[in-house]
Amino acid sequence: MGFWQILEVRGWYFLTTLLGGLPATVLVALGAIAFALVFGLVIALLRMSSWRLVRVLAIVYVEFFRGTPALVQLFVIYFGFPDVGFQPSPFQAAIIGLGLNGSAYLSEIYRAGIESIHRGQMEAALSLGMTPLRAMRYIVLPQAIRTMLPPITNLSIILLKDTAIVFAVGVVEVMALARNLVTETLQSAAIYLIAGVIYLCITIPMSRLAARLERQRQAWQ
Amino acid sequence: MLELPAIYAENIHRWLPELLYYSITTLKIAAVSFLLSVAIGMVFALLRISKVRLLRAFAVGYIEVARGLPIVVLLYIVYFVPPQLFPELDWRWFDDFTGAVVGLGLHGGAILAEVFRSGIEALHKGQREAAVSLGMTPAQSMAYILMPQAARIVLPPAGNYAIGLLKDTSLCSLIGVNELMNDAKSIAFADYQPMAVFVLVAAIYFAMSYPLSLAVRYMEGRLNVSR
Repeated sequence: MGFWQILEVRGWYFLTTLLGGLPATVLVALGAIAFALVFGLVIALLRMSSWRLVRVLAIVYVEFFRGTPALVQLFVIYFGFPDVGFQPSPFQAAIIGLGLNGSAYLSEIYRAGIESIHRGQMEAALSLGMTPLRAMRYIVLPQAIRTMLPPITNLSIILLKDTAIVFAVGVVEVMALARNLVTETLQSAAIYLIAGVIYLCITIPMSRLAARLERQRQAWQ
Repeated sequence: MLELPAIYAENIHRWLPELLYYSITTLKIAAVSFLLSVAIGMVFALLRISKVRLLRAFAVGYIEVARGLPIVVLLYIVYFVPPQLFPELDWRWFDDFTGAVVGLGLHGGAILAEVFRSGIEALHKGQREAAVSLGMTPAQSMAYILMPQAARIVLPPAGNYAIGLLKDTSLCSLIGVNELMNDAKSIAFADYQPMAVFVLVAAIYFAMSYPLSLAVRYMEGRLNVSR
């Protein structure tokens, strides 16, 4: 059978089977983004600490996670952590791995966003008797959010695309199902192309959104 | 965790030479796919600013698709799809290394196309006219006026792309290329030392990518002086 015939006869079956993995893909992506949003802020604040040692540790963390492949990080967590007494499930490993990776990038986005807000804002808040954390929470971050939103959207797209590697630690998402289906039916052309279309249906609208947010930000400035 | 130094002391003389040997394959993949990305990026940057609407649309479509696909998916498509789509052709030359380089090159081409486009668009026509009217030859105006301005815009993002590419070569292990990551997997599971081996491999990747990122930062600093 030719490619088009395969697509006509089995395309719908392939598509519905692969879509079965979409909830797992989305769950890992959302988990990793949430993890990175929280942990990235912690790293960003440590990175701006007045203690030199804390700053250095935060820099080492960021450089290490940005300087090594996400796949290696996932393998250290999934296959390596059992050696030190913690056996994560595939989902936990995927979310922690991609989340730690994303937090290194997010901490730099936060830092750039926070530094884009004039120092006077922080000083004014402190002089009104706010604690540094309250000033950060109520004065600086709300203003920085507009600058940070486009890069955060872009990072979310990257994390969503990175979920396509988590089958390597056993998460049954779109790509894992695609590989299984190919083993079963040997129709690699149709199956991987359909998988590609599924990813594009998510990433292209997201990157449109990121571009729009960026234009709005520039118009606002 | 405390045993790691002891594990390294015992095994590193076996692991390190082998891992470093496969790092060369990793660097080879990165280098060849970088060159391919530059070539594809140049072509699509020019198509993207072409006056012909159809060419522009084609370039935009390519860039959106190649950037929107996860790299692994692109690698799988490039490596597994064409032989099945055109079974009548001879695919024996199309090994996993070639598939990896083409897949990474297609992805990088889309990224660099946008980088090059912003470089080209930043060059105002008046710059060249001014240089020529001052008596410079076209070659001189290219070397002293146009290129330095374009380089300032193009080099830092191209360098960042190169760092990303070096790390992305690890994905080639998933289509079976025998590079650093794949070798690490086989050592880790043969010796039952995943933690020690993968941490060591992380360090090797870091040793390769960190100098690059320092170089990019140096470039950013140097090229920014006049802004």
